[in-house]
Amino acid sequence: MPARRKPTSSSFSFTRRRFLQGVAAGTAAAVVAPELGRAQLQIDEEISGQPRVAIRLRVNGRSYRLSVEPRWTLLDVLRNRLDLTGTKRVCDRGECGACTVLRDGKPVYSCLTLAVDAQDSDLETIEGLSADGRLHPLQEAFVRHDALQCGFCTPGMVMASKALLDRNPQPSLDDIKEGLCGNLCKCGTYTKIFRAVQDAAQTLRRS
Amino acid sequence: MAKVLTRVELNGVVNDVWVEVPENEPAAWPKQAELAVLGKPLPRVDGPDKVSGRAKYTHDVNLSHMLWMKFFRSPYPHARITSLDTSRAEALPGVKRVYTYENTPDISWYANRSKLFDTTLRFVGDEVAAVVAVDEHIAADALPLIDVEYEEMPYVLDAETALSPDAPAIHEGGPQDAPGARNLQGGRPSLYTRGDVEKGFAEADFVIEHTFRSPCQVHACLETHCSVAAWQGDKLTVWDSTQAVHPVRESLAQILNIPIANIRVICLYSGGGFGSKLWINKYTVLAALAARDLGRPVKVTLDREEDALAMGNRPANVMTIRAGCKRDGTLTALTLKNIGSVGAYNAGAGVGTPLREVYRCPNVSTEESNVYINADVARPHRAPGHVQGTWGLEQVLDILAEKCGLDPLDFRLRNYSDTDQVRNLPYSTKGLREAYEKGAEKFGWRDRTARQALSRGPKKRGFGLATQIWGGAGGPPGYAVVNLYSDGTAAVFSGGQDIGSATRTSMLQVAAEELGLPADKLSIVMGDTQGTPYGFVSGGSRTTPSQAPAVRMAAAEVKGQLLELAGKQMNLPAQRLSTREGYVFDTQNPSTRKPIAEVTKELQFGFGTGDRVQNMLIGKGWRGPNPADVSVNSWGAQFAEVEVDIETGEIRVLRIVAAHEAGRLVNPLTASSQIEGGVIQGLGFALFEERVLNNASGRMVNANLHDYKIPTMKDIPEIESVLIDLPDARANSVGVKGLGEPPIIPTPGAIANAVADALGVRVFETPMTPQRVLEALEKGLVLRAQPEEGRRA
Amino acid sequence: MRNFEFVNAPTTERAIELLGPQAKLIAGGTDLLDELKEGLIAPERLVNLKANRALKYLRFSPSEGLRLGALTTLSELETDRTVREHYPMLAAAVRVIASPQIRNMATVGGNLCQRPRCWYYRNDALHCTRKGGPICYAVSGENQYHAILGGHLCFIVHPSDLAPALMAYDARISYAGPGGRKTLPLGEFFVGPAVNITRENLLQPNEVVEEISLPTPAAGTRGVYLKVRDRNTWDFATLSVAAVLEMDGATCRRARIVLGAVAPVPWPAPDADKVLTGARITPEVARRAADAALRGARPMSHNAHKVPLAKNLVRRAILKAAGVSP
Ligand SMILES: Cc1cc2nc3c(=O)[nH]c(=O)nc-3n(C[C@H](O)[C@H](O)[C@H](O)COP(=O)(O)OP(=O)(O)OC[C@H]3O[C@@H](n4cnc5c(N)ncnc54)[C@H](O)[C@@H]3O)c2cc1C
Ligand code: SF4
Ligand code: FES
Ligand code: FES
Repeated sequence: MPARRKPTSSSFSFTRRRFLQGVAAGTAAAVVAPELGRAQLQIDEEISGQPRVAIRLRVNGRSYRLSVEPRWTLLDVLRNRLDLTGTKRVCDRGECGACTVLRDGKPVYSCLTLAVDAQDSDLETIEGLSADGRLHPLQEAFVRHDALQCGFCTPGMVMASKALLDRNPQPSLDDIKEGLCGNLCKCGTYTKIFRAVQDAAQTLRRS
Repeated sequence: MAKVLTRVELNGVVNDVWVEVPENEPAAWPKQAELAVLGKPLPRVDGPDKVSGRAKYTHDVNLSHMLWMKFFRSPYPHARITSLDTSRAEALPGVKRVYTYENTPDISWYANRSKLFDTTLRFVGDEVAAVVAVDEHIAADALPLIDVEYEEMPYVLDAETALSPDAPAIHEGGPQDAPGARNLQGGRPSLYTRGDVEKGFAEADFVIEHTFRSPCQVHACLETHCSVAAWQGDKLTVWDSTQAVHPVRESLAQILNIPIANIRVICLYSGGGFGSKLWINKYTVLAALAARDLGRPVKVTLDREEDALAMGNRPANVMTIRAGCKRDGTLTALTLKNIGSVGAYNAGAGVGTPLREVYRCPNVSTEESNVYINADVARPHRAPGHVQGTWGLEQVLDILAEKCGLDPLDFRLRNYSDTDQVRNLPYSTKGLREAYEKGAEKFGWRDRTARQALSRGPKKRGFGLATQIWGGAGGPPGYAVVNLYSDGTAAVFSGGQDIGSATRTSMLQVAAEELGLPADKLSIVMGDTQGTPYGFVSGGSRTTPSQAPAVRMAAAEVKGQLLELAGKQMNLPAQRLSTREGYVFDTQNPSTRKPIAEVTKELQFGFGTGDRVQNMLIGKGWRGPNPADVSVNSWGAQFAEVEVDIETGEIRVLRIVAAHEAGRLVNPLTASSQIEGGVIQGLGFALFEERVLNNASGRMVNANLHDYKIPTMKDIPEIESVLIDLPDARANSVGVKGLGEPPIIPTPGAIANAVADALGVRVFETPMTPQRVLEALEKGLVLRAQPEEGRRA
Repeated sequence: MRNFEFVNAPTTERAIELLGPQAKLIAGGTDLLDELKEGLIAPERLVNLKANRALKYLRFSPSEGLRLGALTTLSELETDRTVREHYPMLAAAVRVIASPQIRNMATVGGNLCQRPRCWYYRNDALHCTRKGGPICYAVSGENQYHAILGGHLCFIVHPSDLAPALMAYDARISYAGPGGRKTLPLGEFFVGPAVNITRENLLQPNEVVEEISLPTPAAGTRGVYLKVRDRNTWDFATLSVAAVLEMDGATCRRARIVLGAVAPVPWPAPDADKVLTGARITPEVARRAADAALRGARPMSHNAHKVPLAKNLVRRAILKAAGVSP
């Protein structure tokens, strides 16, 4: 198992900055939320009967050893075992793109990839894009151009855009549509995404 | 303080609510006021969290020792449970408990027509049981092990059949079961009349009548419905993907019979709601019950199919519109008969508002029936009723315009209404004329014939337009708190939520403007009952016009305190001071100024000297009443250019110009996003989206994102927004009206009119698929062939 | 989704050994996972074909034509230079399949062996004829996407866009099983419900598709793939036409027209080919060929529009391939 932070104490603490802000909000903190952010590792021992296999995954440059059921998808494992919840589950059937991750640099749907089948490749998720705490120029461009509304499709869009720009640093509008059309947005941010990707392409070319 | 009753509309439903009249609410900013932050294209403040994957949605909440819940749902559209045995499911390793009607409290649901778990099931997807297990897969494994026996009952899937006297009764007993009112919600249609429609039709030179059918459309929010519940002792925390953290908290308190103060509901981010997440759901209650019983957090995430089967929809409507006008284009009469399918339980399926309100017409009547069918219950869906109603009405307008030989835009201008004809009130402001003018200009409406020549072979160009109305006033209740800290930064705590419409950003802009602080000196909290004062649901375009005045009032109160403080420090009367760009300054001598952060320094370190008693400045604001003597509405017009391939039936929407007026323009960047999103969803309604129910099983067969079709990146047109900035000083102190729903409203009508313009025949049913286009062409050819044959005979 | 054992098969022989009635091959998994998640199948073992690197190749030589290993991905096919140069219609057909991500994952073998997309079939709650149940829901139901040709008790349309394109280029398929390796014209590989209602092709549960081969097109060959679908991404064809014409000036020496989404198998139109062969291509000839292609079409209650649509599309494809303006 990867090293994880232990809970600070048996009582509950916030692990997200946002929640700290929430508590600082003036009214007395009568209801304290339980700890967020720990994946469900502890229940592994509790399940019996289901077969497990040991696998290694390389995600965002880090290696993880874990034991999984063969039926778990890469998406399940990223979200519920590694707590990399930036990758979203929307359709679970290859019909929306919210679960897009890069596998050896190519965008794929993690909901249609079995975790056991994702070994021996380099995986990159949205968390890997700003691992050093700084936003990637693409992410900055998405913010600047308001290429997001509810934001649920956004991580997948950003990953697909990254793959596109890695392959084609100077995409035309049609290239962008072709490259990102495997990502659905229900809020309808497409027009803004075109602009963001074109702008980011320019920034990246300059740097 | 004075209290008044004020009219508040939410999604077409009007309530009169009591509200305190604020005594020192700031006056509306003058129209030409130079504002520093409002009206500026500030990128949304929560953007970085969303693009980085840091933003925690309910889906993303994973807790220590968390259990997962999954639902067993009715496979039949209408059935009675005769026996239920969960023992095999409970015996599966990893399963903690199975909940059914046998072991859950009697909690009434659907306005007392049903229960948390009912033994009569009225639609495919109705909840039968809930399994709690150590993980999602195990919970799913247990579902087929639940043994249920049913007595199947006759069912009905469409409203017209449901009204026939021999249709099966979906609810027995009550007026809806009487002869002549079979399955009719409330036992009778809702009626409206003004003037004398018979007289109106008699005066008309042209009278037409058409029936329009729009199918049921599901919300398809990308984040499926989801809750996580966790208890510590008698305190409950619920993460819920909702548009209503505060109302959900109240409902939970009522249902579980625990104090409101013991419950915290959190939804900082939600992956779309569009009206489907406006109130509490069964799974939230069950998660809370199970978490208490089992002493561990419980998470429930609906899958895509469940979301489509059971989480609401825009109802299907059959709308018959009859319209008459004089040769010069003056409307003389309009009538609507609408049959809407609400699903298995009470809901709204009215579509009549646009027809009653948009155009000047003295003689109008509407008759609207909400009909039960054996399918999931309707919920408000972005601009409920208005999308369908406008789509039908606007086509009728075009048909009449053609009869009169008038340009569709001129026809609409001829019937422009300066008053709200239903309430007999003037409008507070109405920017529709400007929307027509600016939109038409941007689109090139007047010289579109030149573009008609771009038709190539089987690909025909067409142009169309449509008008939009929405009751975007908002109203109470809505509260806000603003804190100004000793370092000159401020935090805003607002009721309501940011459901993707950039509300955090606009609220922050309002507070920054009022305080005279740069936007980056503020932070904002919304979507957590723990940190925020009460806010009502965030839907129906009500959030901004309801919350912004409350935020402004709170900020103004803080500003008053700040100026007092500064006045003492600067030896000037507070009334002479104001703030701007981070400074307090003397209005009579603007070069005398002091940074706000310097003024607030005095608040540091808690234990003050002299007469200082505060460590921070706190302001409280709330939303006052709506004006009683005017009607407040948002307005807009859209223009569409399409290309239709008459050999394949394919429609390509090439261009939409969307001109909208919703009072003061708070943020042009996010407002244009809102408009583009509405247009794209409207395009989905026009061309793609339709819930398909299988007659033989009552089951929705396209409950996934491939067969239920939402526009993709390659299906959308070029979209140009025309933002009309018209601060509405009568509406509220910020001058804003709602812009959430408006942009979806006119799109389908504009596209339908453009398609008819291209084809010369109309498609009277949405979605306008290649199939329907080809069928309409076929029918059109037959129709056109007939008179000729007649002549020959 | 029931659990299973996941086993790598580094060679075809090993795969054949591991396969059986309770096992399934997995290649890209884009179709198989949907079947697993919906509960349409519940195999005890998944045999991972991707472990067999020897099946991942794309080779072209003018003498031998094109050879595609079953594990070639659709995006490799789409972007390959020789394919674009010698079989442009194939690249065009691949470009309109599903979405970029799916094309990165999906394989040629998997695309040809994918299961039907009939929305009743894909719903585990509906036990239809193809799944051994008593009725075909499409007959009295919502059949706008169903077959107008070749249906019999079941009215699916074959979902693949690749198959019509390959067939129009005279592709052959090779597959191996316990009895050895067979090679036959791709068109003969697919079978309709009258032959076998539970499968869409000849493959036995322990057989593995290894290769697709295409002859080098003769000089003057021009191909066109046209696809009508609801949305411009993801959607399977409402109707598609693959047309390959060998032209000699304005005269057609040889023609292969194959329709997609009209029948339970990719639907060749030999009668149309006959009309075209040896003819000077004119709009009138194209119209006659289109009529011939659709001869015998029997629409269901909601798909009559598919007949004129198919005719228009066939005509358009022929004229476009021949470079004749309509
Ligand atoms: C949302 C969506 C949209 C789509 N749209 C289109 C479209 O427009 N046009 C189109 O053509 N396709 C479309 N597809 C289908 C897609 O192209 C197929 O899923 C894909 O090609 C299958 O390839 P795979 O390698 O992933 O196969 P897998 O999913 O791994 O396998 C599919 C089936 O083939 C069998 N199989 C795989 N390889 C072999 C082999 N070598 N020998 C024998 N049997 C084998 C498997 O056992 C399984 O039954 C769509 C799919 C999705 C999910
Ligand atoms: S068409 Fe075939 S797969 Fe579809 S319902 Fe009928 S029998 Fe089943
Ligand atoms: S969740 Fe994977 S594509 Fe939708
Ligand atoms: S921003 Fe909401 S789905 Fe794309």
